[in-house]
Amino acid sequence: MKFKSLVINCLFLMFGVLTYAQVEIDTTQFNQLDEVILTATRTERQLSSLPMPVTLVSKKTINQSGSVRLDEILREQTGIVTVTDESGFEGVQMQGIASDYILILIDGVPLVGRSAGNFDLSRLTVGNIKQIEVVKGPSSSLYGSEALGGVINIITEKPSQQDLEGSASYRIGRFSQQDINLELSQAFDQLRYSVFMNRFSSQGYDLNTQTEGQTVNPFENYTLNARVYYDFSDRLKFSSSTRFFNENQDIGFSNQDEAFNGDTQQNEWNLHTKLDHELSSDFEATYELYYTSYKVEESVFNSTLNSLSSANFFNQQLLRPEVRTNLRFNEKGILTTGLGYQYESLDRTFFDDQVNFNSQYLYAQYDVDLLDQLNIIAGLRFDNHSEYSNQLSPKLAMRYQFSDQLALKASVGRGFKAPDFRQLYFDFLNSAVGYVVLGYNVAADKLEELQNQGQILETVVSQNELNQDLDAESSTGYNLGFTYKRDRWNAELNFFRNDFTNLIDTRIIARLNNGQNVFSYVNFDEVFTTGLEFNSNIEVTKNFTLNAGYQLLYAYDKTNLDRIENNQVFVRNPANNQTELVSRSDYFGLVNRSRHNANLKLFYDLPKLETDVSLRLLYRSKYAQFDTNGNGLIDTYDTSFVNGFATVNFAASKQFFNDFRLQIGANNLLDYTDANIPSMPGIQGFVKLNYQF
Amino acid sequence: MCTMKIKNVILGLALSFGLFSCSDDDGLVPVAAVETETISNLHAPQTGGQGQPVGGDFTKFDFSSGTVTTSETDWDIAFRGTTIAINGGEATGTNDEPERNANAGAAIVDGTFDTVTTAADLNFSQDSPTGFAIPTGSDNGWYNYNFMTNIVAPIPGKILVFRTAEGNYAKVEILSYYKDAPAEPDPFEDETRYYTFNYVYNPNSGDTSLE
Repeated sequence: MKFKSLVINCLFLMFGVLTYAQVEIDTTQFNQLDEVILTATRTERQLSSLPMPVTLVSKKTINQSGSVRLDEILREQTGIVTVTDESGFEGVQMQGIASDYILILIDGVPLVGRSAGNFDLSRLTVGNIKQIEVVKGPSSSLYGSEALGGVINIITEKPSQQDLEGSASYRIGRFSQQDINLELSQAFDQLRYSVFMNRFSSQGYDLNTQTEGQTVNPFENYTLNARVYYDFSDRLKFSSSTRFFNENQDIGFSNQDEAFNGDTQQNEWNLHTKLDHELSSDFEATYELYYTSYKVEESVFNSTLNSLSSANFFNQQLLRPEVRTNLRFNEKGILTTGLGYQYESLDRTFFDDQVNFNSQYLYAQYDVDLLDQLNIIAGLRFDNHSEYSNQLSPKLAMRYQFSDQLALKASVGRGFKAPDFRQLYFDFLNSAVGYVVLGYNVAADKLEELQNQGQILETVVSQNELNQDLDAESSTGYNLGFTYKRDRWNAELNFFRNDFTNLIDTRIIARLNNGQNVFSYVNFDEVFTTGLEFNSNIEVTKNFTLNAGYQLLYAYDKTNLDRIENNQVFVRNPANNQTELVSRSDYFGLVNRSRHNANLKLFYDLPKLETDVSLRLLYRSKYAQFDTNGNGLIDTYDTSFVNGFATVNFAASKQFFNDFRLQIGANNLLDYTDANIPSMPGIQGFVKLNYQF
Repeated sequence: MCTMKIKNVILGLALSFGLFSCSDDDGLVPVAAVETETISNLHAPQTGGQGQPVGGDFTKFDFSSGTVTTSETDWDIAFRGTTIAINGGEATGTNDEPERNANAGAAIVDGTFDTVTTAADLNFSQDSPTGFAIPTGSDNGWYNYNFMTNIVAPIPGKILVFRTAEGNYAKVEILSYYKDAPAEPDPFEDETRYYTFNYVYNPNSGDTSLE
């Protein structure tokens, strides 16, 4: 029992440390600067005062960990894992909630461009990140669609108030991975600007030498971020930020003795312009305009036949003006309101035409200290959308301070996700197998077309049913937690439960003459995720910090639980080919969910040597990828389980000649690989040199 | 008198339940035994597929003799690829299908093989121009096609109950679609369209008991 001994060791270590910390009396006051969070309330709030579960990752932690892309550093946070789902794309999972339902923001505005619902976090460099804010639990009351499981907000570095300064860094690691950063910023009286550039490339790697082609093909990408700040006066401040991302990745594989090659090109552009207006000492407004586009073009050539095999494109755009106001009442309460309009469009292969969505929204939030010990946040948002029914998303959160040490946090909220473009407009024929997938809004027409072509054997869903509205997926999330804080250590325990309804999945709407099916989308699944999260931060000495985290997770499909209850699910025992009834204890739960996640992180500073060291141990228990035995759920006989595994990451850096910093490190020190975890290569050493000027 | 011929040794354990339960049936009228048999590697080839129109002769099976037959009239069920036709109802419109000339019917019951003990009160369907009595396609009838593994697997717990051409009753549990019924088939190595199934056939015409 690897995991058991790990837990015991962790507990033992923590216990030892706690005892040590309590015994040692140190007169030095550990003045921990309390970090400020923007995402949870859209106002600046102290991290420790918030009534909902929030994780903050600082620039210091990112630097000490030697991360280069966003997925690497997020994966080291408690309760956050990255998952490659059955589409083959990777996304983030929080509180057992899949990437589809987690909103990704950059400086408070949403990023678009998902692959089968997954947002690829490796698209983002951490080179210019100031901090990462993660709010867990439904946050649609402020952010609208997609914020069911929570929000990840990337706060980028702003130009400082000094003269010209900057930094340049170069890092090289195994698999020819190179990361180059260049940053410049300058401030004048009223004007500040900064420019950031990043180039990241790798030769990729191969986890399965049995198959042709590499697991990850060679790629290179560029990120460019430029921003300008101008203060018209103390009360009127302008800022504008633009970001480009470009990536080129090779494609190369062979199929039935024919060789294919090509490339995938991604282009992303954001433009975020903002005017902050302080109308009075109690009242401020922000006028914001945001535009983003995300394009992918993919071409595959058959080099054996010397012909174009396939060409796909994807072009998504979003335009969003928003006005926000904050009104303060006697230092006790803040009323935040917002009003916005959103235009989205998508044109892609397998769509007849470009499709557009329009929505208008309105939100309000009141954040008030009812008593000295009691903080309450109540929020409500209304979304009116051109393609689906209106959404009302409330949230209520409270924090009660029992003593200087102990506080209670409780929150409940609703989240929703609008049906996406693919679910509404897809028109896809799989030419290899012969099945068809139709988006909800086009299903009735496309089905009629197929019928007129004589391809349909029978329809299994009535026309009437196809004409009913597709509802937004929604969830209700509950969080109840306790925080305990001493001078040198703190701990937080949070229980969570998320109930999802109207999840959208495919169903068969008709059968084709070739024996295959026509699929379309429908609301039917109801699932829940529940569990607890524990985090502890211990300052063993002034220079030695220890973090320990653990998440326990249960995630099940309620329909499947009912089917099991009614003795409707069976499994064939491969040992004797006998069919058996699946019992409640045989049901493992939803795919890609691990029961246990744990981490232990050590950060050690040696100020005299200008050196810091970090060592992070991460553990994830086994999870299943998909049903393998035909009964539609994960049971103990399924063969797609990925075994539990541990990874260890290490980094150490030393400052020298004042302006230089040298870092060496290695990710995945235990060299653990599994062909089912394509995002994790074997041990990867690196060296980085940073110059600050 | 109660006898039971068990061809498949592996089945012995689970069937012991059936063995004891039929001791109640000692009656005055001698009845022929209800038997459990296993058919291995019934080959059901087809042409076309993968988006092309499918064709080719069905492989016909007769419960009373327990064998594959080429008879145009004396057959109960027939296999081609993942499709199962029955000798009852009308032509479905697919190429090369056998002519129906009897009143066979089919029903799908959820359960383990042992717990399906009777054909009474079942709603039997027949082949027709709107589809097969055993619906085709993944997850509709007897099998599931897994897009991840490319494996065709019989859905566990789907017991096919048939009324035969002669008006007898039989139940079938399909165990594998691959040659020699490997426990974990390799879709690229193992030969496909080879049915292995267990069946119980009640030789007493009109008797709905399946144990």
